[in-house]
Amino acid sequence: MSTEPADVLIIGAGASGGVVARRLAEAGYSVVCLEQGRWHDRSEYRGTELDWELTARKQWSGSPNVRGLPEDYPVDDMDSDLSPLMFAGVGGSMLLFAGAWPRMLPSDFRVRSLDGVADDWPLTYEELRPFYERNDRHIGVSGLGGDPAYPPGEDPPLPPLPIGPGALKVARAHDRLGWHWWPEPNAILSTPYEGRHQCVQRGTCMQGCNEGAKASTDLTHWPHAIANGARLLTGARVLRIETNSQGLATGALWLDEDGREHFQPANVVVLAANAIGTARLLLLSASNAHPDGLANSSGTVGTRLMMHPFASVTGLFNDNLESWQGHFGCSIESFQFYETDQRRGFVRGAKWGLAPTGGPINAALPSRAGKQAWGPDHHIQMRARFGHGASWGLFGEDLPDPSNRVGLSSTITDSSGIPAPELHYKVSENSRKLLDFHIDKASESLLAAGAHTIEVDRLMQYSGWHLLGTARMGEDPTTSVLNRWNRSHDVANLYVVDGSCFVTSGGVNPTSTICAVALRAADHMVNTRFDQQVPR
Amino acid sequence: MNAEPVEITPGDSMFELGRDRIATLASVADYLIPAAHGMPSAGEVVTAAQLRFVLRTRPDLFDPLIAALRYELGDDPSVRLAALAAHEPEAEAALQMVIVAGYYTDAGVRSRLGYQGQVAKPVNARDYPTYLEEGLLDKVIERGPIWRNPTTG
Repeated sequence: MSTEPADVLIIGAGASGGVVARRLAEAGYSVVCLEQGRWHDRSEYRGTELDWELTARKQWSGSPNVRGLPEDYPVDDMDSDLSPLMFAGVGGSMLLFAGAWPRMLPSDFRVRSLDGVADDWPLTYEELRPFYERNDRHIGVSGLGGDPAYPPGEDPPLPPLPIGPGALKVARAHDRLGWHWWPEPNAILSTPYEGRHQCVQRGTCMQGCNEGAKASTDLTHWPHAIANGARLLTGARVLRIETNSQGLATGALWLDEDGREHFQPANVVVLAANAIGTARLLLLSASNAHPDGLANSSGTVGTRLMMHPFASVTGLFNDNLESWQGHFGCSIESFQFYETDQRRGFVRGAKWGLAPTGGPINAALPSRAGKQAWGPDHHIQMRARFGHGASWGLFGEDLPDPSNRVGLSSTITDSSGIPAPELHYKVSENSRKLLDFHIDKASESLLAAGAHTIEVDRLMQYSGWHLLGTARMGEDPTTSVLNRWNRSHDVANLYVVDGSCFVTSGGVNPTSTICAVALRAADHMVNTRFDQQVPR
Repeated sequence: MNAEPVEITPGDSMFELGRDRIATLASVADYLIPAAHGMPSAGEVVTAAQLRFVLRTRPDLFDPLIAALRYELGDDPSVRLAALAAHEPEAEAALQMVIVAGYYTDAGVRSRLGYQGQVAKPVNARDYPTYLEEGLLDKVIERGPIWRNPTTG
């Protein structure tokens, strides 16, 4: 194993790691990435097989605790209202994400100024917009330009995906109600693009896309990075980041699949391991010089964990909508109630995204809204539910709270004996009020669309896809971990580019913003490369 | 399972499960999903082959299934299920999953539901969307921007 120093060492080959690797490798950097998971071939995904729904609840679950694969680390979530979801592998959690690709809104970056809560970001929507647009081209985003929920900008590069018969009913209802709706932008191809196939509407996005139509960085970024010389080491589990007497990061100590220890030296270290994995690694990197963890002079590493409490509201219709089909990234969205209205008794809001409702096992044993029915009524309920549903997913803004945090478990370890992350997370009063309001409004939407029955999951436990906030950006080193360019205040050659950097969560799916912020950070690294401090 | 003689050979998951537990499973299956409304019962559908398929796909279900089918919980499926729900939710969930998965992966059941599995229907982006034909975005656009401008509040 080479121990040549890399210009840049990236830890994690998921969304943000892939974006940074591609940009830096194309700029001529020598890039090494350590990824604890492995490459996955599309033929492994079960969407075309009879066992799809069975394996979705175990081998292809979003929960590392349910999957229990050797490359996963367990998460102690006993003290958490939500269970975190993630995936270790090249492409990361994008392999199993829905593919919804909305951006945060301008107000999301200014919640202190506008609503007197949490903190403003040290950057604006307008500053981030060019990076959203560049990423959209790399990803191959399908959507319709001109959505008045956003400021004007470049249209998505590909035409919108079809919305399906259920969403059409809801769109007609919103037209009558005078409520906002729009075809959702998705990181899913509506036409062939850069050697990838278009979507076939199989509806199995969240267990891996057999067509490669759904974007993930193993398809969209890593091939470019590797073609430009990046080295991606899989099965590489990082133990800690090392520093020198100058206080600079020198590289990372890691274990291969046989448990052998290696050290990868680098001039710059970039953490891209998601808001739980990154916080865990910074805390694991404690030393005499950094007794509370690396980059943690503020004492805020691991705090302010945000996970977007999620509710679903499903309407059942008399018509057969074949709602087991369709892309699982949302078909349509609504921002009608997104912005703060103080009369509602809470601040901020939620994006609504309409999704299909899954296969027959999910209809019988619903993982979202709905109760089980047994006996002769089972068949009546199955006829009413299976293929007849449309489901609004409600992601509410999750305001940062210092007591919601990631620590290190004293009792649970991963398969290498490294302490597992331990979560302490409670859903706030603001979030509960917010979801209650939005559940009522989403029910109104579906009833107006003709639903005869509404089924509600007021707070889904296994919904912690959006891991954010544990190493926030900010101008003040005493209250934040990173500066506005994602660089550690404490360690001048350490960057965090994943969702850890989020100051607030917004109320939308965050991956497009994670990727835009990561691309912006990488651009800045390139533009300031001659000023970058590196270890001697 | 009622309709098909269960062939059991050593090394087979059915062998480990045993005839008594398989019979108990069939009675619970019939209780949860009986023949009604033009659909067959789960006891009929979840044959040994279906059961093998489910347990081969999900070997993690085997141990909780064994626990859920133990003799001590008696002959009455409703009493068994109530006891599991109260004290062993994981075993109850495994029992339900095995029955439901065995039932809804059966080709005959799927056919009666009008379900052919997850079918590939490639998107044709040249199809003009119905929502545009119907003008369903016209009013959204006419109402103008709804985003909140941070500089003006």
